[in-house]
Amino acid sequence: MAASSFYLIALTSITYAIKAQNLLKSMGYYCEIQRTPKELATGCGYSIRVKGDIRSILKILENASIKQNGFIETGGKI
Amino acid sequence: MINFDNAATSFPKPESVKNAVLTAFSKYGGNPGRSGHKLSMQTAMAVYNARNICADFFGSQIENVIFTHNCTHALNFAIKGLLSDGGHVIISDLEHNSVARPVFSLSSKKDCSFDIAKTSENDNITIYNFEKLIKSDTKAIVCTIASNVTGQILPFKKIGEICKRHGICFIADGAQACGIIPLKLSDGINILCTSGHKGLFGTTGTGLMITDGKFPLSPIIEGGTGSSSFSLEQPDFLPDRFESGTVNTVGVLSLGAGISFVNKIGINKIFAHEKKLCDMFIKGISPIKGIKIYRKPYCNYVPIVSFNIDGFSPEELAKALSDKGFALRGGLHCAPLAHKTIGSAPEGTVRFAPSLFNTEEQVYAIVKTLKQIKK
Repeated sequence: MAASSFYLIALTSITYAIKAQNLLKSMGYYCEIQRTPKELATGCGYSIRVKGDIRSILKILENASIKQNGFIETGGKI
Repeated sequence: MINFDNAATSFPKPESVKNAVLTAFSKYGGNPGRSGHKLSMQTAMAVYNARNICADFFGSQIENVIFTHNCTHALNFAIKGLLSDGGHVIISDLEHNSVARPVFSLSSKKDCSFDIAKTSENDNITIYNFEKLIKSDTKAIVCTIASNVTGQILPFKKIGEICKRHGICFIADGAQACGIIPLKLSDGINILCTSGHKGLFGTTGTGLMITDGKFPLSPIIEGGTGSSSFSLEQPDFLPDRFESGTVNTVGVLSLGAGISFVNKIGINKIFAHEKKLCDMFIKGISPIKGIKIYRKPYCNYVPIVSFNIDGFSPEELAKALSDKGFALRGGLHCAPLAHKTIGSAPEGTVRFAPSLFNTEEQVYAIVKTLKQIKK
């Protein structure tokens, strides 16, 4: 995994997606909310698109009790 | 019409609440949490912000704030969700039917039972009466923080302490207390249920269930949540577990604005103003011959005064006041247990419940009118 790639992280709900976005943005991360694509999870849901070290980001989410349902690395620009 | 029936629902509402409603209609028309388009996302963000205001106000995690239709809805979620597989609960003798009826209904089911603790003007006796009823299968104490009939404030922090000591859940009905006295989950409350349209100034059709998450609840309503949709099982995470179907966006945003208004004015200032009006009212009506005011000297009260006048039923007196331009509620106030307790059953009382928007002049006017009615 690249140290500073884009990732899509599937979250359980819109509430957690906004909570995660607020948290990560407050820490200086790029973070946008989008619908979860079928490559990442089945069923309705929201993901956050983030840029940065995925291990650090996942740790931040875990410490905030924000459960994630998987992630994928994506391309793209901010 | 001068409204002294704010314990039923507050009116008028603050300008900021009216503006929030208008904004909700004009701007936040998407279905929050259901789509990825801007209209839905903007609305979801607005709902999140309102949820955050509620979480800050009551000291909870944001996801543990559940929007409900009213306090009754919230209490049904909490009581039936906790007792889904049986158990014993203790309620007080001042409960509204929003607590008493769900508990009574559950008691007809196998393995469900309840007891009623006698309240006293002495908090230590009240606590003793609750604690002595705790049994091996007791799951919760469910009680009001302040009676909707008399306004009597129960020793909720001490009740929270005995619940914690016995490892049982404290479900609090905050309908008459929220927005009037400071309340946090850290006061020992595990699940706080309240209306959103009384002291919190939201629109009717709003309520809250706020939990500390320590006592898992089974949902009593299941359905679409916009999350985990491929699964036929109800989500196990909050708030989705208890928010099936589209949320009342307009109401939720009004509630957020209402709580912000309470924060801006200051809860202590609101309480002081309403208490002053109640004190004036009591002083004004006390000389009326045949007056009965349902207050005890050593109790603390939220700003509610229940009373009767000899020769009038509560409904008759409320009607006479309505004819003179004053809105007060007469009758049982959906709380028959409380009326049995205070000795006003079966007809009930007339209830005076001012809000921040009532004035001293209005209190003078109703006192004068009551004196004229009694003549």
